[in-house]
Amino acid sequence: MREIKDIKINKVPSPTWRWLSLNDYFLSNVEVPAGISSETELPLAVEVKEIPEFSAGDIKSGMGDDFNKLMKCSNAPVHLFKKTKSGAADSPVSIKLMFNDSCSEAYQAEFELVDDSSLTVVMDLETEEGASGLGAVSVRYKLGQNAKLNLIQLVHCEGDYTILDDIGGECADKANFSLIQIVIGSGKVFLGASSALEGKRSRLDTKLAYLVDGGGYLDVNYIADHLGKKTESEIGVAGVLRDSAKKVFRGTIDFKKGCAGAVGSEIEDVILMNEGVINQTIPVILCAEEDVEGSHGATIGKLPSDMLFYMTSRGMELDNIYELMARARITAVSQSIPVPEFRDKIEEILDEKAADRKEREL
Amino acid sequence: MKEKTQVEDIDRSLYDFRYSDEDSMKVDEGLTEEIVLQISEEKNDPEWMRDFRLHSLDVYNKTEMVDWGPSIEGLDMDHIITYVRPNTNRMQTDWEDVPEDIKDTFERLGIPQAERESLAGVGAQYDSELVYHNVKDEVAAQGVIYTDLESAMHGEYAEMIEKHFMKLVPPTDHKFAALHGAVWSGGSFVYVPKGVNVEIPLQSYFRLNAAGAGQFEHTLIIVDEGAYLHFIEGCSAPKYNVANLHAGCVELFVGKNATLRYSTIENWSKNMYNLNTKRAKVEEGGKVEWVSGSFGSHVSYLYPMSILNGKGARCEFSGVTFAGAGQNLDTGAKVVHAAENTSSYINTRSISKGGGISTFRSAVVVAPNAKGTKSAVSCESLMLDDISRSDTVPAMDIRCADADIGHEAKIGRISDEVVFYLMSRGMSEEDAKALIVSGFADNVGKELPLEYAVEMNNLIRLEMKGSIG
Repeated sequence: MREIKDIKINKVPSPTWRWLSLNDYFLSNVEVPAGISSETELPLAVEVKEIPEFSAGDIKSGMGDDFNKLMKCSNAPVHLFKKTKSGAADSPVSIKLMFNDSCSEAYQAEFELVDDSSLTVVMDLETEEGASGLGAVSVRYKLGQNAKLNLIQLVHCEGDYTILDDIGGECADKANFSLIQIVIGSGKVFLGASSALEGKRSRLDTKLAYLVDGGGYLDVNYIADHLGKKTESEIGVAGVLRDSAKKVFRGTIDFKKGCAGAVGSEIEDVILMNEGVINQTIPVILCAEEDVEGSHGATIGKLPSDMLFYMTSRGMELDNIYELMARARITAVSQSIPVPEFRDKIEEILDEKAADRKEREL
Repeated sequence: MKEKTQVEDIDRSLYDFRYSDEDSMKVDEGLTEEIVLQISEEKNDPEWMRDFRLHSLDVYNKTEMVDWGPSIEGLDMDHIITYVRPNTNRMQTDWEDVPEDIKDTFERLGIPQAERESLAGVGAQYDSELVYHNVKDEVAAQGVIYTDLESAMHGEYAEMIEKHFMKLVPPTDHKFAALHGAVWSGGSFVYVPKGVNVEIPLQSYFRLNAAGAGQFEHTLIIVDEGAYLHFIEGCSAPKYNVANLHAGCVELFVGKNATLRYSTIENWSKNMYNLNTKRAKVEEGGKVEWVSGSFGSHVSYLYPMSILNGKGARCEFSGVTFAGAGQNLDTGAKVVHAAENTSSYINTRSISKGGGISTFRSAVVVAPNAKGTKSAVSCESLMLDDISRSDTVPAMDIRCADADIGHEAKIGRISDEVVFYLMSRGMSEEDAKALIVSGFADNVGKELPLEYAVEMNNLIRLEMKGSIG
C-alpha cells in the first residue's frame, strides 16, 4: 500500500467568499501514484530521455504546490522531449496513456523547444471501461524565442475514475503556447494550467471543450500571467453539462506590472441540459498595469430562444436541437486539431455516447 | 518626452474638519463583555437585545478573520472605542435644539439645506448616537414611520423590530456582523405601510467625529406591500492618524410588489476601515434598487446583497468606486435568486488612481427552484496610472438549467485620442480626464437625485485634482 495524502489543488490566485466553495478543491485520501507506461510516437526531430525531475525547475503550474509535492513522491520519471533544432517537426509527438483499474498512476512530461522551432503534441488520456482509480499527469514546457508548442489533450474519463492533469510553462519573446483540451465523460477530472508569458509579444491560446454527464465532475484552473510587454492571451471555454454533472471553472488573467500593451480575454459558454446540473464560474482579471486591455464574458444557461425558434421552425425536435448544439460545442474546438486521427477518435467517442444515451432512453 | 506635472494634495477641507470630543461619554478601548453590557445599559435595551448582544460577542470571539480581500492588519480592535455618546442627552426633532458644534458640522455638510429643499425626512447620526431625526408632517400623515431604532424598540413597533432585527444578517454571517450585533448603536427604523408611495426621499447622514472610534449604526427598513421608498445614506469623517472603524448593518425588507431604492454616497476619511454589511430580501413582484458610490475609506469591504425570495422579484445594482492613494476598496454586489422568474442586473464602474486599489467582487447564485431566472453582470474598470491596481473577481453559482446568465467585464485606460480631442476643443488635460471619468461613472450619477449627482461629480473632480502625469 502506497502513502496516502490530502491535497488542496486548483487554488484561484485571488480568493473570494468561502461560502461559495470556489477558492480551491480539497482532495482527501489520495494514494501517491506510481509511474505508468505510455505508448509514444516521435518525429525524427525530437529527442526524448528520462530524467528524475523537471529540468526546468519549479515552474508555476495550475494545480499548485500540493500536487507537485504529490508527483515528487511518485516514482514516475520525467520524459524530457527536446526540440533542439529550429523549424517545424514533420509529425506530432503522440502520447497515449491508458489508466488501469484499481490503480493510482502518474506520468510526467517536459517539452523544451529551442528558438524558432515548433512542435505539436497530442496526448490521449483514457480510463479503462468500468475502472476506478486515479491518474495524474504533469506537463511542463519551456519555449525559446519565436517557438510554438501546440499541446492537444483528450481526456476521456468515465465512472469512478479521477484524472488530475496539470500544466505549467514559460514563453520567451514571441513564443506561442496553444492548448486544446477536450474532456468527455462521467468521471472526475481536474485540469490546471498556468502559463507565464515572460517574453515580449509571447502568446497563449487556450481552448477547452467539454461534455460532462452522469455524475461527472470537472474542475478547471487556468492562469495566464502577463509579464512581458505586448503579450496576448485568449481563453475560450465551451461545454455542456447534463444529468447531474457539476463543473467549476476558474480562469485568471493576471496583468503584472510591466506588461504594457498586453491584451487578454476569456470567454465562457455553458449549456445546462438538465435540472440537477451545477455550474460554478469565477473568471478573474487582476491588473497592475495601466496600458492593458482585459475582458471576460460568460453566457450560462439554456440555448437562446431565437435560435430555438429558428430551428424548431425548420422542423427539428427540441431534444434533437439540444443534442446537436451540445455536440457542436465539442466539434467547434476539435475541428481545429491538426491531427485527423485524433479528430476521428473524438467523433467516435461522441457517437458512442449518443448511442448509449439513446439505448438507455429506450 | 512627456513631462510629469506636480501632483498636488487633495483639498478635502469640506469633509476634513473636527470638533473636540472631550465632553463626550466613551467606553474603554477594546471589546469585552463589560463594555457590551455597558453599551446595553446606556441604550436601555430590552432583555432580548441584551442577550442578543452577548450572544453576538460570543460569536465574534469564535469567528475567524476573513482570509481573502484587502488587509485589515492595521485595525486593532483592542484600540477601538465602540461607543461614543456626544454631549447631548437625547435625539432632537428641531435643529435649533442640537448642540452648536454638532449643528455646525451638519450645516457645513449641507444636511439642513438638503432637508429643506429635497427631502421628506432626515436622520443625523454623530458618533454613536442619532442627534436629530425629523420627518415631514405630510409623510408622517401617510403612516410612514421614520425614527431611531432605539426608541422604536420600546414603542408600538417593538415586536416588529424583534422579528426582523439581524434576521437577514445574522451575527454568524461574518466576524464584523457579530461585532455589529454586540455593540451596535444608533441608526434608523423606517416602516412604509401598504400601498404608500413616498414621493421624495428620506435621508440618514452618518458623521464620525471621535478619533479611534467605531460607528455601528443599524438601519432597518420595511417597505410593505405595493409601497415605494427612496432612502439615501451619506457618511463622512475627518481624517485622523489612528484607525477608525465603520461596521454598520443595513437590513431591507421589500414586500410584495413594493419597490425600495437605496442610494449611498460613501465618503469616509482615508483612515477608515469600512466593513459594512447591507442586505435586502425581496418578496413576490418586489424590486430593490441599489445605487452606490464609494469614494472614501482606507479599506472597504462592501457588497450589498439581494435575496430574491418571491416570484418575479427584481434587483438592480449600480455602483461606482473610486480608489485613490492609500485606498484599497473591495466593493461589489451579491444576488441570490431563490424563486421563479427573478431577475437581476449589476452594473458597476471602478476607477483606480495614485496607487489606489479597487476590486470588483460579485456573486450571482441561482437556486435549483429559480426557473426562468435572468441575470446580467457588467463591470468596467479604468486604470488612470501604472502605480494603481484594479481587479475583478466575479463568481457565478448556477444550479438551475432554466436560467439565462450573462456576464461581461472590461479593464482598460482612458483613450489618448479622446483626451486629445477634448484638449483640442480648449479643455485642460485635467478637466478632460475629469469629464471622461464623470462620464464613465454616469451609470450611478444618472440614478441619483440631481443634488447628489452633483456631489458625486464634485467628489470625482476632487479626486482627479493633480492626476495628470
